[in-house]
Amino acid sequence: MNAEAYIHLLKLLAPEAILVVTALVVLGLGLSPSSERMRPLLTRLTLFGGLVAASVLYLFSKNACILNGMVVLDPLGRIFKLVILGLGLITVIFSAASPVRRHYAEYLALILFSTVGMMLLAGTEELLMIFLALELTSISLYVLTAYLKDSTASAEAGLKYFLIGGVSAAFLLFGLSLVYGVAGTTNLRALVAISPALAGDPLMLVGIVLTLVGFGFKVAAVPFHLWAPDVYEGAPTPTAALVASGSKVAGFFILAKMLALGFGASVGMAAWSQFRPGWLPVLAIMAALSILLGNLAALVQSNVKRLLAYSAIAHSGYMLLGLTSASEAGFTAVLFYVIIYALTTIGAFGVVSVVERRRGGSQLQDFDGLHKTAPGLALCLLVFLISLAGIPPLAGFFGKFYMFSETLAASGKGANPSMLWLVVLAIALNAVSLYYYLIVLKHVFVAKPAEEERVKAPACGPLIAALALSVLLLGLFPNVLLEPLRAAVKNYTSSLVLP
Amino acid sequence: MNAMNDYPLLIIFLAIAIVFPLIPLALAWAWGVLFSPAKPGKDKGAIYECGIASTGAAQIQFQSHYYLYALVFLIFDVETIFLLPFAAAFLKLPPAAFLALMVFLLLLVEGLIWAWAKGILRWK
Repeated sequence: MNAEAYIHLLKLLAPEAILVVTALVVLGLGLSPSSERMRPLLTRLTLFGGLVAASVLYLFSKNACILNGMVVLDPLGRIFKLVILGLGLITVIFSAASPVRRHYAEYLALILFSTVGMMLLAGTEELLMIFLALELTSISLYVLTAYLKDSTASAEAGLKYFLIGGVSAAFLLFGLSLVYGVAGTTNLRALVAISPALAGDPLMLVGIVLTLVGFGFKVAAVPFHLWAPDVYEGAPTPTAALVASGSKVAGFFILAKMLALGFGASVGMAAWSQFRPGWLPVLAIMAALSILLGNLAALVQSNVKRLLAYSAIAHSGYMLLGLTSASEAGFTAVLFYVIIYALTTIGAFGVVSVVERRRGGSQLQDFDGLHKTAPGLALCLLVFLISLAGIPPLAGFFGKFYMFSETLAASGKGANPSMLWLVVLAIALNAVSLYYYLIVLKHVFVAKPAEEERVKAPACGPLIAALALSVLLLGLFPNVLLEPLRAAVKNYTSSLVLP
Repeated sequence: MNAMNDYPLLIIFLAIAIVFPLIPLALAWAWGVLFSPAKPGKDKGAIYECGIASTGAAQIQFQSHYYLYALVFLIFDVETIFLLPFAAAFLKLPPAAFLALMVFLLLLVEGLIWAWAKGILRWK
């Protein structure tokens, strides 16, 4: 590698580099003795660094692919990097008022590091780099989860996340090594050319299944979901928001990319009673179990963060269902839905964090009479939960509808029999999900408040309102996001040299 | 000999590998039972510490926060592994590679300074 290549690499990774430098500066400033008073300064500095990185990414970045696919930038990757960066910055704003008292600078730096990991994940087509970026993301998130030193729930959540995450990383690495062993390349684009010859190779199938185990953990799909409820409940709420939104977006993006590119030919079949080995039946089973268990377990939760965790498991199921379409339109629908889902869920966690700070807990009773004490927040929560339940005119409805219809349309064609059984299951249980979202809203709007007085709006109020507004507007005008996404996916698939 | 016939050979190897060390162990045990009756005593049961009379019990408490030193040490240990090939090929490398390695060193040094300032290197 010569000097030019280094400069090219630095140019391509400028947004990530800016984030890392910001994190290092924040770490350094956090060492000063008066770091408690410097809290607002640290938050602002982090946001400033993030905004600079976002504008560099949006304005100055060029499409490129260097180091044999290690670092790639294309329109699709740019959209997802921007979304992930945005979610990271929203998390930073939430943490400004979080219960994290000690080592605040390190908290911000870790959020930035995990954001950098997710952005690298969105910008690579190389198995090794995928693993490294996933590890960077996960290790930062483990620490962020266990951050509340005097809370045993936080420590327990961190340990569970770490142990299960470590095991799943081992599965993923083993799966990737098998894929490499069979295919002889770690580059996803090179795999596209080879994969038809490998379809049906038993070792390749084992590799695919092991890889899917690793990703199943990342996106909290049943039966690899066990960490999710404890982590969402025990972690500091901003961390939970990042785990629920950013890491899910990055996870689904790279999963879709791997399925489309790396495993393209080993599709298999998952229509009712017509299973054939490949990644499709594995995904279909994971999707069915996630939808079933997520929605049913959420019915009996008394803690809102835990309820959101089970709802997240169910939503992972819906998105895995979308991936079983194995078509360009279906993948576009999943990518669209995961962005919508991330915006909605991070907004819901924002409301939860405000309530938690005020009442000291996130049990259902803590939400009693929220519309009296904070009408704006209650309205935002209504928008978020109704969107998660998938009721028009909110974005969640359009996203789900689009995903289900594309799955049906794509899977009914030709030799690929219909996935109707899975879609019917998803729609039936989506109706069930309305019940537990409405229970939360019943506590918010019907139950009597513990104290009557109005509370002044929290600092992150405008942000939550903006998120709620965007969820509403994306439901009314989905083309604002869908058109660029569709164009980017089209651009991406046309750049592939299919055999 | 084809590939399938290698496996019985492997099993024979395994059997020998298990039996071979068992023979001296069994002989030693038989010798002990037959010729040396057990006579336990204070000196005989003492902990062996290079011949000097032992002081205190063997189950002492280790300070668990030693792990922080171990972590910092590990980072710089790994750093050496990266530096060695760099040093070996130093004269053939472009200036940009030197710059890249300096960035790597800078990251590690910031880590050390951070750990130092946080008081991790102070023994409590």
